Amino acid sequence: MNTREPVHEPSRHVAAHARRTGRDRLRGALRPRATRGQLIAALLCGLLGFAAAVQVRANRDSDLAGLRQTDLVRILDDVTERSARLQAEARDLEAARAQVTGDTSGSLAALEQARARVRTLGILAGTVAATGPGIEFTISDPKGEVQADLLLDALQELRDAGAEAVELANPDGPKVRVVASTHLVDVDGDGAVKVDETLIKAPYQFRVIGDARTLAAALDIPGGVLDVLRQREAQGMVTQRSEITIASLHPAPAPEYARPAP
Amino acid sequence: MIAAIGLVAGIVAGLFLEPTVPLWLQPYLPIAVVAALDAVFGGLRSLLDGIFDDKVFVVSFVANVLVAALIVYLGDQLGVGAQLSTGVVVVLGIRIFSNAAAIRRHLFHA
Repeated sequence: MNTREPVHEPSRHVAAHARRTGRDRLRGALRPRATRGQLIAALLCGLLGFAAAVQVRANRDSDLAGLRQTDLVRILDDVTERSARLQAEARDLEAARAQVTGDTSGSLAALEQARARVRTLGILAGTVAATGPGIEFTISDPKGEVQADLLLDALQELRDAGAEAVELANPDGPKVRVVASTHLVDVDGDGAVKVDETLIKAPYQFRVIGDARTLAAALDIPGGVLDVLRQREAQGMVTQRSEITIASLHPAPAPEYARPAP
Repeated sequence: MIAAIGLVAGIVAGLFLEPTVPLWLQPYLPIAVVAALDAVFGGLRSLLDGIFDDKVFVVSFVANVLVAALIVYLGDQLGVGAQLSTGVVVVLGIRIFSNAAAIRRHLFHA
């Protein structure tokens, strides 16, 4: 690269001006002389200043209009690529949203199912109140002949007949929800039975939810509970009801050792 | 002196007339300005060297501008306009610096 290109070739003037310094020459040039060289230099310098000013202004004004085609294509490519990327991201997010909402409805259904299951199990375990058709089976025992074994027989008979919720009570006294773990213990003397730590005196009343006719028939079979009661000079009375509500609950302590197996 | 006045007059005219750059000229104007700047610095240096010649100055000025524009045009046609513009600006920048160094030596002897 010839960095001296604009510098003109040495001419015969060099020898004549050799003793003058650069400052002298500049001073001489600054002296206003309307020579042809000065005028042309002024014209070209004016052109340069004009073009520079115009370019600076144009560069400040326009951002895209002054760009060349390749730059514009590159910017367009960038924008297109960015748009495609954002669209892909939007698709991903929408898919994720659809999945989440789908999961929500699915988990809502599962939750509803679990609640229904809890209600069912609660009725069986005696932890929730139950209502439905059934019978009232009242045993009056004036002579104190009815004991725990007979009550247990009656309970077994009712269970066999499809009793779903059972309550054993004194009509005017305490009520006990009968569940799988309920135990009946004789109390000496005065015609009473201890049911799950609760003392229940005669008359005893079973309130049972289930198919009323089946339950009544199960008690009335020959040699069944009612027959035995008659033999022991006690009275059993079965009343079918279209709706029985069992409100007494069986406390369900949290298991201390057992954990649900996965 | 007249040249300096011309430069200032040109700048003022460009600022106040507010002309719009024609579209076909837009890619070439910045390069042309840098090339002309290079020619002006070269002219100033030759003036200080005592070898200034108005004819040579005019020719170098015009040729510089034309060649710079031609290179940019060629680059645009070849698809490397941006890179070639950068190259031209770098080369002209180096020349401007070397001319400025020579001018500095003349004026300040340093």
